[in-house]
Amino acid sequence: MPELETALRQLGGEIEFPATPDLASSIRGRVERPRAWRRPALIALAIVVVAVGAALAVPPARTAILDWLGLRNVSVVHVDRLPSARPLGRLDLGTELTLDEAKSRAPWIRVPGEKPDHVYVSDAVPGGRVTLLWGTPSKVRLLLTETTGRAYIEKLVQGDTRVERVAVGQGGAWFQGQHVVMFQDRDGTFHEGRARLAASTLAWQLGGVTLRLEGDIPKDEAVRIARSAR
Amino acid sequence: MERARRGDENAYEELVRAHQGIAFRTAYLLAGNAADAEEAAQDGFVKAYHALGRFRAGSPFRPWLLQIVANEARNRRRSSGRRAALALRAAAEESSGGAAPSPEGTLLAGEDRERLLAAVNGLREEERLVIACRFFLELSEEETAAALDVRLGTVKSRTSRALEHLREAYA
Repeated sequence: MPELETALRQLGGEIEFPATPDLASSIRGRVERPRAWRRPALIALAIVVVAVGAALAVPPARTAILDWLGLRNVSVVHVDRLPSARPLGRLDLGTELTLDEAKSRAPWIRVPGEKPDHVYVSDAVPGGRVTLLWGTPSKVRLLLTETTGRAYIEKLVQGDTRVERVAVGQGGAWFQGQHVVMFQDRDGTFHEGRARLAASTLAWQLGGVTLRLEGDIPKDEAVRIARSAR
Repeated sequence: MERARRGDENAYEELVRAHQGIAFRTAYLLAGNAADAEEAAQDGFVKAYHALGRFRAGSPFRPWLLQIVANEARNRRRSSGRRAALALRAAAEESSGGAAPSPEGTLLAGEDRERLLAAVNGLREEERLVIACRFFLELSEEETAAALDVRLGTVKSRTSRALEHLREAYA
């Protein structure tokens, strides 16, 4: 009996419902990305593509882009606002050793032509991490962080951070502007609390080692230092 | 939808604006009063936002949203301990009495309308809700199933049973 159904639909149009409140406005303050900065960096990756000028479509998977950059162990995540992080200089870099001690502990490390002033080794990340420091711990001029392929680094960049590819080792990328760096812990997670604010950085891959050189230096000088690493 | 899933809050606000009417009315049917319905719809939209990552791309948004909002509404009603079903009321007489006839020319006369409404209000709650969802809110069967948290088959059988009962009462 379709008449009944028609009558019901008509009746529906006359049912008194209270006026719909403006929910879109009332929830505005309650919807903020809880973990926004873990979101894959489609925008940042797009910038990379543009910078290279290659007519490549952005591959869907994060790893695809990173392989193309030659940075298999670095992910780039675009965020609207960087989380608060400790600035370069007050860092937990691990245990200080001499360069020779560090080499025997981590035979895979690479050292640039200019010898570092301090060397630190840490077991906090899978495969270990070695940090070479130029300057003093309280006034860092340059910082070179090296990890093996078992460690994973996440870089959070803002819209105004430039990312471009550079030819160093098996592939490298230059990050111009401040960004936040996080290392994956031994338990496999990234901890916001241990994130730190990095200056311009050159990241590159040399064999199984991922290197990150950061400091207030122009790109050309960073590339020169990187190429001197043996 | 895709923009909202990627965390674009403005895109989500548009999505809320597009669906707040149906979400609020569904919540009103289930919660039984406007204040609880508003809260339920609000909380539902916020929960849906945080669950967007689990939302399957390409599937329809409305049933998924209505399920979340309806759940909130049911929980509110349950925790308030209220059992009395919402009695639906039709708007004042002049909305049909003085208006021009509908295109079909089959506008219910005032008396018939009251009788039909009384019949709907006299149904068991589960049948009344399925009728309200399907014919008053004009939800699809899938959306009704999501809102009432029952299977699609249950919506179909409950609808036909409810229509049968209405025919008896209204005839």
